[in-house]
Amino acid sequence: MKTSRLISKIVAAAVVTLFAGAPLLAEDLQIGGFIQGLYGGKLQERKLTPSDYSASEMRLQLRLETSSGDADLFGRVDFVYDDVTDPEYQWELREGYLKYTLFRKVDFKIGRQILTWGTGDLVFINDLFAKDYESFFAGRDDQYLKAPQTAIRTEYYSPVGALSIVWTPRFTPNRTPTGERFSYYNPMMQSFTGGPPYALASRPADRWENSEIAARFQRGVGNYTVELYAYRGFFKNPLGFNPVTVSAYYPKLFAYGASVRGQLLSGILWLEGGYYDSREDRCGAKPFVPNSSVMGLIGYERQIATDLTGNIQYQADFMEDYDQYELNLIGTEKRDELRSLITSRLTRNFRMETVQLSSFVFWSPSDEDVYYRFSLLYKYNDALTLTVGGNLFDGQKMYTDFGSFAKNDNLYAKMTYGF
Amino acid sequence: MKTVTFALAIAILSQVAGNRLASAQDAVEIMSKSHLAYYYAGNDGMSEVNMKIVDKKGSERVREFAMLRLDTEDGGDQKYYTYFRKPSDVSRIAFMVHKNSTGNDQRWIYVPSVDLVKPIAADDKNSSFVGSDFTYEDVSGRHWNEDSHTLVREDAVDAKPVFVIESTPKKAYKGFAKRISFIDKSTFLPIREEYYDDKGELGRVLRAEKIDVIDGITTVTVRSMENVKKGSKTTVSFTSIKYNIGLKPDLFAERYLKNPPRDYIKQ
Repeated sequence: MKTSRLISKIVAAAVVTLFAGAPLLAEDLQIGGFIQGLYGGKLQERKLTPSDYSASEMRLQLRLETSSGDADLFGRVDFVYDDVTDPEYQWELREGYLKYTLFRKVDFKIGRQILTWGTGDLVFINDLFAKDYESFFAGRDDQYLKAPQTAIRTEYYSPVGALSIVWTPRFTPNRTPTGERFSYYNPMMQSFTGGPPYALASRPADRWENSEIAARFQRGVGNYTVELYAYRGFFKNPLGFNPVTVSAYYPKLFAYGASVRGQLLSGILWLEGGYYDSREDRCGAKPFVPNSSVMGLIGYERQIATDLTGNIQYQADFMEDYDQYELNLIGTEKRDELRSLITSRLTRNFRMETVQLSSFVFWSPSDEDVYYRFSLLYKYNDALTLTVGGNLFDGQKMYTDFGSFAKNDNLYAKMTYGF
Repeated sequence: MKTVTFALAIAILSQVAGNRLASAQDAVEIMSKSHLAYYYAGNDGMSEVNMKIVDKKGSERVREFAMLRLDTEDGGDQKYYTYFRKPSDVSRIAFMVHKNSTGNDQRWIYVPSVDLVKPIAADDKNSSFVGSDFTYEDVSGRHWNEDSHTLVREDAVDAKPVFVIESTPKKAYKGFAKRISFIDKSTFLPIREEYYDDKGELGRVLRAEKIDVIDGITTVTVRSMENVKKGSKTTVSFTSIKYNIGLKPDLFAERYLKNPPRDYIKQ
């Protein structure tokens, strides 16, 4: 019996039932949402995927919220017609949870939810919650960068600090390009790959010991927030390879880290560090499992002028047992011992914040690759928003993080009607 | 004869100087009283806010939010909590300010759709508050010590007797070069404020459109800010106002940023 999967189903069923009953309990029910059309095309001539479009979809999101006493119920569900993927009609419960406060000290959030922590801006070390890079690359709204997890979050508040524990019974990986919407680099074929059969990594079996646990302790120190993190689960990207079954999988991962964030001069400074303990390859000798690594991040954001905000980040990822890695490497696709990443965001508002120009660049000097995102947003009125934007990738090598998506450059247009 | 003239001159000069000093002192006192009446009413307060922004073409945008305020010290530090209801794209976003009367404010935003708590670089108090004609500073107040004040005259606005005060920033400031405030003599609330730029041109005008007495405290319940240069105008209406409700400081922390306090902020 797949216990954790059963638990997930029970939790989901409980949330749905509660919602059905909610209007009876609640003082009132808040309903909102949006309708959105998103259309995007790929710029490369050589198309690897079945569709030339990076996005061609119509989406309805419904948001329901109600509260009663110490309990809050919230639901967010998407209905999508998507030309690019199969099946075309899809729906997803993005969020569906019950929030409850016990003894005024403990907050529970139970059900399908979006989870975030850590300090980085679109760069994550200790945030090992599920991300959706396919949505991110396709120009969907920022909220789609995070994929939902069915989990139980417990937050305990005391004068010493706040302790959060998130238990995700069923491992929830990142959503990464599979070759259907976006192509990727396939190291087996040593080329960019798209089209069926789509890349599917095998998930760990649904067992108690394979559930994810993430914990954070948070405390304010003066004007700064200090946080400690721990995680027990799996690499969220399918970085492992099983030569017997010839398939990618998610190797076991323990992670520990810390961060500090607060005001410095007239801006915000953040520092974050983490240690990824690759449990299946602790001496770094296995070529098909990532080595352990130490990571560090520093970032600073400030208002450069009225209506103009900018930030800059530097991330370093230092591989442990690099000599073992080099010794056991199969093939020539070697990464550097120290991987570096520089990012910068610029946001400019015009015309009383009805027009927003945004640019975000990821550049890795060690991997020699780059990913550039930009968007221009126009709020026609409170309900209607028009957006155009693009996602551009480039790299010297095909196998690096951004280089592997080099055939996915796209431009998109999006229209959103909120209600 | 010469001595007499000299003595007279001294007398007149000292009289003038004395008057000016008195008027400067009065002006500072008036402005400090006004600041406390306008920004620090009660020990704490809450209200529902409707903000209507009309641009020069006449198109209208509306923001609705709930607001909580707690004064740490009268005329000093304050804490603000804002929970957005409308429009749809910002609904459920929470925003918190720890106003620091001696340094930079601290600001945080919580974006529920990504469960993100983020401190915001808050260097420029003069930037627009949610795209309106009000600045952050208009919302939380500019300390009277930052400007020099002169009582220009006494006058009447809408048949209300007012002090007319001219204020100039002590340090160069891009928000305004000169501000003329019309302060109600009985309540010390600003009935009207005119903001002038460094060329002496009128930039913005604040008006108290409606004044009510709530829980015994005279309160501006409708105020507007007109940007004369841009041709836009923002009107803010406060409803469900309550004072001295006993808000606790720990309400203005990350926990409640993520979980709006339902005792005060209904859905």
